[in-house]
Amino acid sequence: MITQMHIKGLMFDPYNNAYIVVLRDEEHSDMLPIWVGKSEAGAISMAMENVTPPRPMTHDFMKSFLDAYNAKVISVVITDLSEHTYFAKIHLMYEDSEYTVDARPSDAIALALRCNAPVFANDTVITKQSSEELEQWLENLKPEDFGKLDS
Amino acid sequence: MSTVNPPKEQSLVEYRVDRILEEANTDTRIVVLARQDGVLDTFPIWVGAAEGNAIKLALDTMITPRPMSHDLIKSFAEHLNVTIQRVVIADVKSSTYYATVYVANKGVERTIDARPSDAISLALRAHCPIYITQDVLTRRSTTNLDAWLAKLESKNIGTPEVQET
Repeated sequence: MITQMHIKGLMFDPYNNAYIVVLRDEEHSDMLPIWVGKSEAGAISMAMENVTPPRPMTHDFMKSFLDAYNAKVISVVITDLSEHTYFAKIHLMYEDSEYTVDARPSDAIALALRCNAPVFANDTVITKQSSEELEQWLENLKPEDFGKLDS
Repeated sequence: MSTVNPPKEQSLVEYRVDRILEEANTDTRIVVLARQDGVLDTFPIWVGAAEGNAIKLALDTMITPRPMSHDLIKSFAEHLNVTIQRVVIADVKSSTYYATVYVANKGVERTIDARPSDAISLALRAHCPIYITQDVLTRRSTTNLDAWLAKLESKNIGTPEVQET
């Protein structure tokens, strides 16, 4: 089973010096945080804010590449979480055939946002995630950290 | 985006990535290109830290546990049966270099506009040649100097108080 997720925002995680992409489902009952690096967060935030950089950034170039061949991103799916590493699949349509390409979730999300493609998550990933890292992370979070989170 | 113009071979000079330098105190890297034919000439390009790291990973032929962004582009090319033919640093405007990635499939060549960092990252992974146009080589001397000066100035001003992130 997969659930469609919406990209709700980016937060800075001061404990890991990393960024968290927050995904939520339609009913807001499930939340999936994905830890990403600084440049990956930048690629996602530019797309979320509809910023058009003067020169194509890596994922804009990626989209240009697909556009040049009229290949469409149908959807991306966050498929697995193991050893704190997420796996994603990008589903492409090219000349009436579907292709599935292995990717990091950060690349998949940065591309999906630029292509207006839906993002899904495997239910197993959502369950695993909510029971593991997130609770621990939230427990360790002090009230004074919240002020820094919206950067 | 897609053109059928054949490259003007005469006006292209092949370069390879010689090394990546870290600039102290800044979030930039310098990609040093050297001429493939052995003629002594280096061509520096300033890129961001993340872009420099992406090139370094390919230069050192590091295998990462998960595909990095340019590995993903290469993977797209393989899935679509597209060959990355060559990349060309084709223009320079206001100290910014412009690159073109030449791709081909079923005998049709197309061009994609890119930053030199993305073009070089991809070229190293796709094992395709990197060229600089004679035009850019001719016009670069003052451009380089300007870039050097701009970097030096910003560094000197920034060093005492401002901590770069």
